[in-house]
Amino acid sequence: MLSPLLLMAGGSPLHPLLATAVVPADSPISQLVPSLGANDLPYALPIHPNLVHFTIGLFVIAIAFDIAGALYPVEKRVFRFLALPITRSGFHDVGWYNLLACAIVTFFTVAAGFFEMLLAVPIAGVTSTIGLQSMETMLWHGVGGVVILLVIVLMTVWRGYQRFVWRKDLGRQVQWLYLLVAMGIFLVIGLHGTLGAELAAEFGVHITADQLLASGQNLRDALP
Amino acid sequence: MQGLLPPLNDHNLPWMDTIHPIIVHFVIAMAIISVIFDLIGVLTRKPQLFEVSFWNLLFATVAIFVAIIFGQVEAGLAEPYGAARSILDLHSTIGWSLAGVLSLLTGWRYVLRSRDPQSLPLSFLAAGGVLATLVVVQVTLGNQLIWVYGLHTVPVVAAQRAGLV
Repeated sequence: MLSPLLLMAGGSPLHPLLATAVVPADSPISQLVPSLGANDLPYALPIHPNLVHFTIGLFVIAIAFDIAGALYPVEKRVFRFLALPITRSGFHDVGWYNLLACAIVTFFTVAAGFFEMLLAVPIAGVTSTIGLQSMETMLWHGVGGVVILLVIVLMTVWRGYQRFVWRKDLGRQVQWLYLLVAMGIFLVIGLHGTLGAELAAEFGVHITADQLLASGQNLRDALP
Repeated sequence: MQGLLPPLNDHNLPWMDTIHPIIVHFVIAMAIISVIFDLIGVLTRKPQLFEVSFWNLLFATVAIFVAIIFGQVEAGLAEPYGAARSILDLHSTIGWSLAGVLSLLTGWRYVLRSRDPQSLPLSFLAAGGVLATLVVVQVTLGNQLIWVYGLHTVPVVAAQRAGLV
């Protein structure tokens, strides 16, 4: 976890420059204040969480359909019983095109995420369910987001090589290792998404009602 | 019904955090990408994409029923206030309607695919446009419930329990 590292930087006399670092009272975010709403954004509804639907949905379903394509010999009887005509290549088409769409949209997911994180004002004094403070959560979620973008792009390149070069003439278009790595990424994305959800539902980032409450306003008047 | 659920936490939920917004990843992304792949498939004459669209549409239809189940439980525990009450009502109504629309479209698509998987009538593209519009409206309403009114967020739940909302 990041905490010991931050503690060293902030709390101990390890490095004189770091120990005496101060946050200027006039934070650069104040330059934008006239154009920001109560949710600290220049618009009412944040963009990043909506693009996240596409990153996660497309990645998970791409892998799910490649798994279905890989296990085709097992399940084809079930689909025949359901009178639902299937082809193995059709499943792998979903695996490829959904992942390609995921890689494209995720650049925008990360870009929107960084824009909105630069404007984030987490509620002070909160520790999340998994025991992190707001800055730690944002650092993990921000850096992690870039790493996940890189991983998704690498997975797409790997998937493309399997589809168009290495396994072009094979029925099962993906290696077992690819599917295994993808399942590992599910776990990472699940944890990563939890951090993002905590930034909203616990730290109140970009949530109008939470920010109004934090500034001491009464929701009966401020948000009728 | 609350007797059937574990005790409620500081999100006023019997589980760690809201599950409905996670399930709707698979409704929103799959429904919209299905419409987009149909459009690209028609424009670039790439019938391969129609198969990708079909599976995404089928998956969106399965996912919306799971989304509704969790949505109903979490809406029941949301304690909406002010204008959020009518937004939540509308969100629920459109949610159930979307389940009907998605099911109808998937059934229609199943028949089309059984007859000729290589082509797609323009009328289905138009229906896809209606579906995408409904999804966008529904997502906007859901966004307002969380990002404006903060339902199930810790600060709002704390204020509600303190009788401030």
